[in-house]
Amino acid sequence: MEAILRVTRGLAAPFDLTTMLGEVVGAAKQVLGAERGSVWLYDEATNELVLEVATGIQPIRVPSGSGLVGACARERSIINVPDCYADSRFDSSVDKASGYRTHCMLTLPLVDHKDALVGVMQVLNKRDGIFDAYDEALATALAAQCAVALQRVRMMGALLEGERMRHELEMAREVQMSTLPGHMPAIDSYDVYATFRPAELTGGDTYDVALVEDRLLIVLGDATGHGIAPALSVTQMHAMLRMAFRLGADLDTAFIQVNNRLAETLADDRFITAFIGVIDPVTDQLRFHSGGQGPIFIHRAAERSWERYKPTSFPLGAMPLSSLRPAIDTRLLPGDILAVVSDGIFEYENEQGEQFGEARVQDLIAANRERPMADVLALLHAAVVGFAAGAPQQDDMTAVLVKRNGDATREQRRFARTFESIPDMVEYTSSFFARTASDARLLPSVDLAVEELFTNMVKYGAGSTAAVEIGLAVIAGGVEVTLVDRDVDRFDITRSADVDVSAPIEARRPGGLGVHLIRKIAESVEYQYDETNRQSRIKLRITAGKPRH
Amino acid sequence: MLGIEFGQDGAVILSGRLDAAQSATAQAFLDKVQGTVTLDCSQLEYISSAGLGVLLKTQKRLLASAGKLRLAGLKPHLRDIFTYSGFDQLFEIDSAR
Repeated sequence: MEAILRVTRGLAAPFDLTTMLGEVVGAAKQVLGAERGSVWLYDEATNELVLEVATGIQPIRVPSGSGLVGACARERSIINVPDCYADSRFDSSVDKASGYRTHCMLTLPLVDHKDALVGVMQVLNKRDGIFDAYDEALATALAAQCAVALQRVRMMGALLEGERMRHELEMAREVQMSTLPGHMPAIDSYDVYATFRPAELTGGDTYDVALVEDRLLIVLGDATGHGIAPALSVTQMHAMLRMAFRLGADLDTAFIQVNNRLAETLADDRFITAFIGVIDPVTDQLRFHSGGQGPIFIHRAAERSWERYKPTSFPLGAMPLSSLRPAIDTRLLPGDILAVVSDGIFEYENEQGEQFGEARVQDLIAANRERPMADVLALLHAAVVGFAAGAPQQDDMTAVLVKRNGDATREQRRFARTFESIPDMVEYTSSFFARTASDARLLPSVDLAVEELFTNMVKYGAGSTAAVEIGLAVIAGGVEVTLVDRDVDRFDITRSADVDVSAPIEARRPGGLGVHLIRKIAESVEYQYDETNRQSRIKLRITAGKPRH
Repeated sequence: MLGIEFGQDGAVILSGRLDAAQSATAQAFLDKVQGTVTLDCSQLEYISSAGLGVLLKTQKRLLASAGKLRLAGLKPHLRDIFTYSGFDQLFEIDSAR
């Protein structure tokens, strides 16, 4: 008994399995006066018994159920064999392998306090004879202690393994987080903000917002699964996209190339849903592809309505692509908001199993559209948390909002100095009239003024290659038109000689007619010239109140 | 976009927008007409000084050989442009009401 107590105390200390098994075998040999001992651990996953340690023998696996060990495991009872070679259940192959000869053997089940099989202990060759009933009782008491100690070590091992996994996840998460932009791109005409709120330790979202080669790049990605792999694959996609756009790739090329590289490198069951968009801040044109990421929302300020876009392609990395459906190509007007939101927000469920959904996202953004986008995202997160009412976050929550600054009643756009820009200008003025509900009867006059001034600039400002900026604004009773021409000499149209409209046809020339017409149709015309910047600004007002001549 | 083509009665039918981007197309077409030609303007939506220049050049050429351009079906807002520019005095105009 004293020996058992000593053993028990010894078994309380070790935390690793090898030391523990050494202690168990050592204790058994000492208490029972045996030459050798071994412990077979039960592997529940494979239903095998594994010989982890035995003096002088290599580790062996046997199916639970075979041999004396198997019989003991199956029956959960002690087996005392005085002459092994006379017992049919004895497997002599271990002896053959080790050169050791087993005479007698005690085999005991190791069962923990929950009555689960932990393993089987064997003690071999009692020094002075065979194992008797007293040895059996002693061994049974020892086995009970050993089982509990082994179980403790195993649980500790699982705990340590869990800790190691957690540490790895944290590192993967750190890598994932480190690729997120440290600050939002500073760009006057846009209010850009993005947030990433990871689910606890796992999830595969990423985003990117950056000015790359004068273009505003917007990315939101969500890799399948949870854990290290998705965190690393979105990080990989993030880096490849940055590189592609930095090297000047267009949207389609970048999408196809990155997709195809991911298809090569990702495991067959993995893919990444991703929105990849590019905004040209000069033309305010937004082009995007969405590989399985959706819905994508655009809030139209003038109509106070939402456009909802489905994905244009399947998720990235799912399979190689050789061609693509056309990208979505749309223009952001002043006050418009692009909203790219991950499913971790849409699909956040409360305790009743109801999802946060699309409508709540749209309503919140629309109601707060005049606030800074950073505030809108803070409000969105607060709304999700409020909705969840304590329900746990299951997935990363990521959102990117891009708002074109400015007033929906005024707009500016630049046009290349060529007559080929004229159809775009016509489209520009007519869409402005439509969305501001301006008096359609004034549109031909606005078009005429814009075209006449623009063609003058193209003809007489030949030294300049700068684009011409055309601004439109709603004013009382009409529209104000402003043209800004850069890198040009002074040319004050308000002072140019008037055309004699009553001259006979032989004396008539087309020159000067455009300016003459503008004076007739506009309520007022102003000219300003900025010497320092060599910049002409012409502002005219076209209203319904203009008296007819 | 500008449309310019001969109608069944020999008139030239103009449609759409006769602006600076389209004036070369219109000029090339009208350089080939002879005699007295009617321009059916009932589908014309827009004209700028570049378009007026095309008509002026064509009118001068036809008048030199005893021909002329006649304008038919001009919409009121285009008629205003002809008035503002004095072109109503250079062409025979039969406006739409």
